[in-house]
Amino acid sequence: MTNYQVHVTIENKPGISDPEGKTILNDLVMKGTHKNISQIKTAKMLKFSIDETDKETAQSKIKEICDELRIYNPMVSVVKIDVFDV
Amino acid sequence: MSLESHELEELKTKIGRNPTSTELQIVAAEWSEHCSYKSSKKHLKMLPMDGPLVINEKGYDSGVLDVGDGYVVTAHIESHNHPSAVEPYGGAATGVGGVIRDILSAGTRPIALLDGLRFGNIENDKHAKWLFKNAVTGIADYGNCLGIPTVGGEVEFDECYKNYAMVDVAAIGFGKKENLIKNHAKKGDLVVLLGGATGRDGIGGSQFASDSLETEDRSAVQIPDPFIEKLIIEAILEARNEQLIHAMKDLGGGGLSCAVSETADALDIGIEMDVEKVHIRESDMHSDEIMISESQERMLIVTDNEKLIKLRKICEKFRIECSVIGHVTFDNKMHVKKGETSIANISTDIVANATLLDLPSRKPVYLENLETAKSFPQLSDYSETLMKLLGSPNIASKIWVYSQYDHEVGIRTVTKPGHDASVLRLDNGKSLSIKIDGNPKQCYINPREGAIGCFEEACRNVVCTGAKPIGMLDHLQFGNPNDPEIFWTFLESLKGLTDFAKDFEIPCVGGKVSLYNETSDGPIKPTPVIGVIGLIDKKPLRIQKITSGNSLIMIGETKDELGGSEYSEYVHKFIGGKCPSVDFTESKKNMSSVLEIIENKLIKSAHDCSKGGLAIAISELCMTNQIGCNISLEKIPGEKLDSDKILFSESHSRYLITFEKENIQNLEEILKKHNVSYSVIGEFTGDSIQFSNDSKPIIDLSVDKAQETWFNSLREMVLRA
Repeated sequence: MTNYQVHVTIENKPGISDPEGKTILNDLVMKGTHKNISQIKTAKMLKFSIDETDKETAQSKIKEICDELRIYNPMVSVVKIDVFDV
Repeated sequence: MSLESHELEELKTKIGRNPTSTELQIVAAEWSEHCSYKSSKKHLKMLPMDGPLVINEKGYDSGVLDVGDGYVVTAHIESHNHPSAVEPYGGAATGVGGVIRDILSAGTRPIALLDGLRFGNIENDKHAKWLFKNAVTGIADYGNCLGIPTVGGEVEFDECYKNYAMVDVAAIGFGKKENLIKNHAKKGDLVVLLGGATGRDGIGGSQFASDSLETEDRSAVQIPDPFIEKLIIEAILEARNEQLIHAMKDLGGGGLSCAVSETADALDIGIEMDVEKVHIRESDMHSDEIMISESQERMLIVTDNEKLIKLRKICEKFRIECSVIGHVTFDNKMHVKKGETSIANISTDIVANATLLDLPSRKPVYLENLETAKSFPQLSDYSETLMKLLGSPNIASKIWVYSQYDHEVGIRTVTKPGHDASVLRLDNGKSLSIKIDGNPKQCYINPREGAIGCFEEACRNVVCTGAKPIGMLDHLQFGNPNDPEIFWTFLESLKGLTDFAKDFEIPCVGGKVSLYNETSDGPIKPTPVIGVIGLIDKKPLRIQKITSGNSLIMIGETKDELGGSEYSEYVHKFIGGKCPSVDFTESKKNMSSVLEIIENKLIKSAHDCSKGGLAIAISELCMTNQIGCNISLEKIPGEKLDSDKILFSESHSRYLITFEKENIQNLEEILKKHNVSYSVIGEFTGDSIQFSNDSKPIIDLSVDKAQETWFNSLREMVLRA
């Protein structure tokens, strides 16, 4: 068993609006001098620490947990799962 | 997700050619059940919609009531069941947003919200817990961000809503009569789209709501943005004050397609618009998507060239986008262009008026013998049963829900959630009382009597605050109308509501029909939800704390009507038995006597008897006032019945009146004058809830213990995984 860090990034599906990101862009970033920024998207990240045999299993196990416990709503959000060696 | 083949043929005949793809999308959205009411509209006409206080104007999305002194109250109810079932947080929140814009479009400020929520079995269904928790959070976040109080509502759980969510939102608006938008337009007026950008969210939502969920199309998710909504409210009200708005409509189901065609049809004008002028969120959107997108927080406004300058200034001030998307023509056509290319050009009358259906109906087979009563085994321990009911999901205090809502913002809320009906202070010194009620358990057993019961219960709640009912909102929620048996239950409920409304002269000022509410296990139980608005000309009843030695009068008869009761269904797991029915004459007498004793300031509080029966209603009085009681069941008005029937029957038209003993003579005088059935049934004392029958003790329950269970059980059910 090896310990892995798994980062789960949850964000709204493409095409679904993101009021928080838009507010940060318009009311914070664009008010400064950062005119070269065109988009900001918010996301939520969960960092798991998991003991598994290999990276692939760690990834699929975490995906399973997220689906089963409804950690995100697949109707609204997409998840990206990145596994790192500790 | 599109027109049925015979509808397509009909469209071809009406326009005399093949429709373009944009026309197809527009018509499919507008002819969907959700937008066109094609199955129900013919029948809805039976409801009385006029009354001395009702103000009718063309194109209003909400009902308007004149409350005197130059002020009006607006009211509307909507549901967001399908979206909430797949995304409870966003679905419930955008449901709140939609109904608020209906209030706004009449030119009134939204001042209160009420929510009716229904889910599956909360005790053991994880999915129901998830839906419930997120729907409540969605409502709380949206309403709280807007500064509009959520003042009341109801929550119910039933197996028939398995994996489904019923989210009904009612909104109340208030304003000056002179500020009401008088929807009109003249040639050359401009059509402006104001608010959030149009994106791909909610594409095809109205058609989605007109199909059963099983079709699994889930692109219809909408993301709420309460801050834009708040800016829209303030911008619109400022534009209203400066008289910049000729006509206005909110964008709801069907998006631009419905808003443009319905506005044009209602005002008897044509509208020519260009999809390229619509401010969009994603650059690669197809014209058809722009026309049917159900992106939230958008309003359609008709104004003229001169006023547009001021309107733009207001939009800049509030930093909301607005685009001139078209102008008014007089050919009664909805003409959509993409730049110079015409992509749809069709008579608004055709778009906005789908052919109404007269669907067949047939009395459901399941109803046969359903009302045959079943005798239950005698209870060994009534105290234990009462305790079980107090902790049951439908009876337990809903404080976990309403404590998440800001119910006081705006400082109008006089009577807060947790009482019978909520009371709001109005600027002319009068008060407004509001309540929504549903009862699918009774409506399943008897769709007619059940619906009347919801209506009467909402009236009772409003009457308990000292208000006279002046208007009702009906929200009729049923399964697939193409099933003749389901359609029969719809018609029965509607007929019942119509009879009650006519007899009591309470006009229907607004409503909504939501059909195709089906779960994987079949249709939901008939779920009409009725909202009643009451007006108090003088001061509302100031509820006073009950103290030791205060007496309790019960008005109204308790009958052998256990059908659809919580006792039958939760304790005995039995669906059936005689559904409570309302005796109109008795109901009216009881209402007017309660109103008179409140007006004469003879009582401390009035409480209606409903869910769980009188045992629950009296326990609620004890628990909220932290005092015990001694109640004699043999004194309860009505025929002689077994103890469980007296305690738990949910007969209508019953009120519990608490008062200082010295007022008894004056009280009795009024009750006798109205010739109502009443009796002094006990008094408040000690620290336990005690019921006896013929001096034999039946129930003895510590108030503290009862209160702990009643207050906490719902929260525990939700939070316990």
